[in-house]
Amino acid sequence: MLLSMAGSGKSVEIKKISGKDETRGHLASMGFIEGEKITVVSKMAGGLILDIKGTRIAIDRGMANRIVCEGVA
Amino acid sequence: MVIRLALAGNPNCGKTTLFNNLTGASQHTGNWPGVTVEKKEGKLRGNKDVIITDLPGIYSLSPYSPEEVVARDYLIKDRPEIIVNVVDSTNLDRNLYLTTQLLETGIPVVVALNMIDVVEKNGDKIDSKKLSEILGCGVVEISALKKKGMDELISTAINTAKIKQAPVIKEIFSNKTEKFILEISSVLKGKVEDCLLRWYSIKLLENDEKAAEELRLNSQEKSIISETVQRFESEFDDDGESIVTNERYNHIASVVKETSKKAKKEKLNTSDKIDRIVTNRILALPIFACVMIAVYYISISTVGGWMTDWVNDTLFAETLIPGAESWLQSVGAADWLNSFIVNGVINGVGAVLGFLPQMIVLFILLAILEDCGYMARIAFIMDRIFRKFGLSGKSFIPIMIGTGCGVPGIMASCTIEQECDRKITAMTTTFIPCSAKIPIIALIAGALFGGSVWIAVSAYFLGVIAIIMSGIILKKMNRFSGTPAPFVVELPPYHLPGLKTVAFSTGGRAWAFVKKAGTVIFVACALIWFLSSYNWALQPVGIEDSILESIGSAICGIFAPLGWGDWQATVATITGFIAKENVLGTFGTLFGLSEVSDGGEEIWSFVAASFTQLSAYSFLVFNLLCAPCFAAIGAMRRELGNKGCLFAVAYQMVFAYAVALCVYQFGMLFMGGGFTAYTLLAVIALAGIIFFLVRPDKMLKRKKVEVSAT
Repeated sequence: MLLSMAGSGKSVEIKKISGKDETRGHLASMGFIEGEKITVVSKMAGGLILDIKGTRIAIDRGMANRIVCEGVA
Repeated sequence: MVIRLALAGNPNCGKTTLFNNLTGASQHTGNWPGVTVEKKEGKLRGNKDVIITDLPGIYSLSPYSPEEVVARDYLIKDRPEIIVNVVDSTNLDRNLYLTTQLLETGIPVVVALNMIDVVEKNGDKIDSKKLSEILGCGVVEISALKKKGMDELISTAINTAKIKQAPVIKEIFSNKTEKFILEISSVLKGKVEDCLLRWYSIKLLENDEKAAEELRLNSQEKSIISETVQRFESEFDDDGESIVTNERYNHIASVVKETSKKAKKEKLNTSDKIDRIVTNRILALPIFACVMIAVYYISISTVGGWMTDWVNDTLFAETLIPGAESWLQSVGAADWLNSFIVNGVINGVGAVLGFLPQMIVLFILLAILEDCGYMARIAFIMDRIFRKFGLSGKSFIPIMIGTGCGVPGIMASCTIEQECDRKITAMTTTFIPCSAKIPIIALIAGALFGGSVWIAVSAYFLGVIAIIMSGIILKKMNRFSGTPAPFVVELPPYHLPGLKTVAFSTGGRAWAFVKKAGTVIFVACALIWFLSSYNWALQPVGIEDSILESIGSAICGIFAPLGWGDWQATVATITGFIAKENVLGTFGTLFGLSEVSDGGEEIWSFVAASFTQLSAYSFLVFNLLCAPCFAAIGAMRRELGNKGCLFAVAYQMVFAYAVALCVYQFGMLFMGGGFTAYTLLAVIALAGIIFFLVRPDKMLKRKKVEVSAT
């Protein structure tokens, strides 16, 4: 499923990130890589707040649509 | 021996606090060459031989953002003696990503484990000795906020720099990848210095175009390398950059596992709870509006406004100027000298300093918003709306401040990270009518529209439309077409703003304004004073016989298509560049009145006689949209640089002219004025605006081609 569809409070594992090299490079430097586990802290106006590697990262819905993930227990 | 020490680290890692601790007051702020990324330098307190450069906050050394490029170029080309890598120890996984890349530059590195006190408080543990062994460089535990570990950090850094102890090269990637790195190294051997061999080899494996350019390889070497990279990518079935990134994170994960222990954590911390409210779907905008109203109220309407009024009206107008005048008379100075010092010099200085108190108040508030963590949330809340017309979520702040005064408004754009967004915001902020333009609006509304409030409403509406249109137009121009950064932003935990951080940020920005903007403002004011006080024979005369009058008469034909081609209106527009409220005063002088009140009631009849409703509105449109006062132009120069500032002024002039032309000529056409050559000109101008608005975005097109090619 897409990250944008993950519910608040759910933990997911990143399976694939699509987009240009530049976008992916930027995401990667913030910790978004395949296999990484992230938690949706909350869904807010305009986007999602995620817990990734212990920090809060806000991303917009468009960006969340590029991240394919899988739910983990 | 002079030691150049570079501070590197992620955004929000406490780098700025450390920098302030180390340098004290001996710092100065400037720009990195060619880009408007802030560059801060300072000397180490108590040791003038150590020059500290604060690199911009970055997550990696990839070549994707101006900040990253600046940091990377500095490290690779200028080779500082030592890098102090500030690491947020509450967040090792993310911060070490940059660390592993810094270690590859071959420059001696000391890692400063910042916020170690927070780690201890959380009950977590980090084994810094083991970390030092694994990384192959010195590691010092510090707390920049509590000033702990400062001495040890400095002595370790200086010693490491003195013995030139480069980091021990650790093979952090998988054996397969290391084999490919070696393969590329053997091609590059002798082409680059040994200490940079690993750096460039890894970069080439990542398909880093910028690094490849720097190497200037011949075609044979290029083909060997591209063949190697292809084999590398096909072996892993992924692109080079992703493979390297993934393996880097794998390595870091194992480092973190070996060196740190985390206590169990609560699911929602205080920051999360605040965010629940502050970024809430329903409450986000009202809360944001309240904060903004408070900022505006304090900096423009009350405290800041009072201070600026005091400096302008009391200090300068009532004390300094009359004082200087009478003193000069008493010592028998010539009239021209008196006039030069009082009207030229002191007024010029006043124009610079008058804005300063207001700006300092604003900068303090912005620094507090930045430091406590709310600024990052603003970007998040507003981005969706502003992105549609090419601006960033943070563009709202400059524009709102701009309704009070364009100068602090433009300066407020410095909080926008994205270079092209920052430039566009700085260029368009002054389209919104500032408080100095209100008298012009009042004059036109009062003299020709019976005081209708709709004139003022339309002026603000026009400002907003002009900003939106310009955002779209400028975004499509090559000079601003930096790819929009994906909206991913770190939300630092909320914390109380630090006094020192706020003070240094405010001081640095205020000083930069005085230095960069002050000179422009001063020179321009003195020049206009000269032109309006002398005739061509250099005899002191009134403005109606001055050089300015003859210039006005010579160029006023330009404004004929806008409906107000007489020299009075032209001269009033020119003096408006000193300060927009001067437009009224100039009309007063030209119509032979000495005092003109804020609304200009005394000159309504004169103005009504020399304008029609339509030409007056066109005059208003032009004066609202054209280049702002010199103070604001000076502020733009600070944000955009010389060339960018010239471009901005030219753009504003052309845009203002085109819009005013359309307003007047189409107005005339509707009122049965017939189709003239000028009408044709207006049609062309309108067509031009529409063309620039709807023309395809070259960058967007390129992106689409890339996507369809893959």
